Amino acid sequence: MAAGTRNPRAAATPVVTGLGFITSIGNDRAAVLRSLRELRHGFEPVEFLGNPNVPVSVAGTVKGFAFPSPHGRDWVWPGAYAIEREVLRGLAPHGVYAFCALQQALADAGLAADELADGTTGLFCASTGSPFLLTHHVNQLYAARGERSDPMAILSSVAGTLNFNLAAHFRIAGAVCGFVSACASSSHALGYAMDEIQLGRQRRMLVVGAEDMNAESILPFAALRGLSTNPDPATASRPFDRRRDGFVGTGGAVALVVEDAALARARGAEIHAELAGWGQAGDGHSVAASHPDGAGLREAMRRALADAQVAAADVDYVSAHATSTPTGDRSEALALHAVFTGGARPRVSGTKALTGHGLSLAGALGAAFCVLAIREGFIPGAAHLEEPDPVCAGLDLPRVSLDEAPRVVLNNSSGFGGSNVCHVLRRAG
Amino acid sequence: MNPSTDSSPASKARPVDPAQKIRHLSAEAQAAFRRFQSGGDPADLDPVIFAILESFVPRQPARPFVEQPGDARLVDDLRLDSIAIAEVVFFAEDLLEINISNAEIARVRTLDDLRGFIRQKVAARRAG
Repeated sequence: MAAGTRNPRAAATPVVTGLGFITSIGNDRAAVLRSLRELRHGFEPVEFLGNPNVPVSVAGTVKGFAFPSPHGRDWVWPGAYAIEREVLRGLAPHGVYAFCALQQALADAGLAADELADGTTGLFCASTGSPFLLTHHVNQLYAARGERSDPMAILSSVAGTLNFNLAAHFRIAGAVCGFVSACASSSHALGYAMDEIQLGRQRRMLVVGAEDMNAESILPFAALRGLSTNPDPATASRPFDRRRDGFVGTGGAVALVVEDAALARARGAEIHAELAGWGQAGDGHSVAASHPDGAGLREAMRRALADAQVAAADVDYVSAHATSTPTGDRSEALALHAVFTGGARPRVSGTKALTGHGLSLAGALGAAFCVLAIREGFIPGAAHLEEPDPVCAGLDLPRVSLDEAPRVVLNNSSGFGGSNVCHVLRRAG
Repeated sequence: MNPSTDSSPASKARPVDPAQKIRHLSAEAQAAFRRFQSGGDPADLDPVIFAILESFVPRQPARPFVEQPGDARLVDDLRLDSIAIAEVVFFAEDLLEINISNAEIARVRTLDDLRGFIRQKVAARRAG
């Protein structure tokens, strides 16, 4: 039910009751909130693969974690999270991020682990997998001439590793699935999680997006000329700016607890925001580049608004996909112009100016930021924007975060192959 | 060379660097392994086996492996699951340059079984 109007059978209202963050701009809700309000970025100079000649030298680093080798015994994570070897052996670096983020989200929602196993809770995840671990394991396979390989090679490194591991650890007996649509992956996970609630299939869904933060996950995008080569962390990611030259890579994890509002109210959980609708549409254009007019994103926004039964004029804030690539931001600006006509003029910003682009993680992370904006009553500013691209003329791009409480928010995301997904969130009534 | 298709008889599995592979094991286990390498006595492998088990067991038992009785069962008493046993086998094969079949490992039930089995495998490799 991504497109068009809601299934008339639908009765349940999905709401967000828990959030967890492991990101370049903070490893808990309070730190992330502060960064979004004060427009503090999470970028640092990095030397990928120990090679100073790599033209990409800035990344959205995840502080407090270290993965210096492929072996879990060498990994470092914050001491607040206990990860038994039974769990660690199946995790990639982004699995560690995800485990921590999900622990936060469950605590935020006031849920204990033993409340997840009765079949009414499902788990939808999104990640690319771990090219870092996959490379290690395949090299081991080559070295052994195929005679042996690590038993955990597949479980820890392929796309799906998040749902394999988290579902087993948290004893999830409801719907379990992974989503792969590149940078729209976790947006798909959240959208279909909303459907699971609305269709009455599940009462609660855990949604997790995560990515490694390393050369293996990020640098291949340099070959597509997708990454910024700007060495200045303060300006490398500047969505909608005329001088933008690509995105800054990041990793981390986000976790959302999505519940039927009736269930949340019955157990006395705090409702952070309502998930009002979602929509998706393909560009039908290119394997990598976005449609030059933003056709798919435009349609995805319209479908999301229709699904939520919200008029464009009612949208207070758009959390743009806005990765800071020349073509992608232009396409999105054109799509926004097409959707928001007449008197509709929402605030628009792209938080990847602060976090970097987290690939599969990005869509759900953007949605979680929207939840924060609604819950805390503010609108994140368009960080690092100094010279708006002329194509943005007419868009309301606030240069600073605003103490304005948005009631209805639109969250955009786009992925390779022209996969566009949008969510509508609103203040719970 | 395309490593996925090259089947030249001259191309053999490349042994790993043992020192690198066991760097996470205890100092005692590393010293025992060096003794084994220089003297060839399979009995020196016992501390190594204990250390390998300790590094792959999903949840640490109340008592360290070195204090466990020889008839302690790997699955029922020491709580090694099938994944952990597969990891131990993979590690031992790589470190000791031996091959262990599924049928062979299925017959290994206790700590003493494992020690005896590894000794036998290593002795057979050195003899062969």
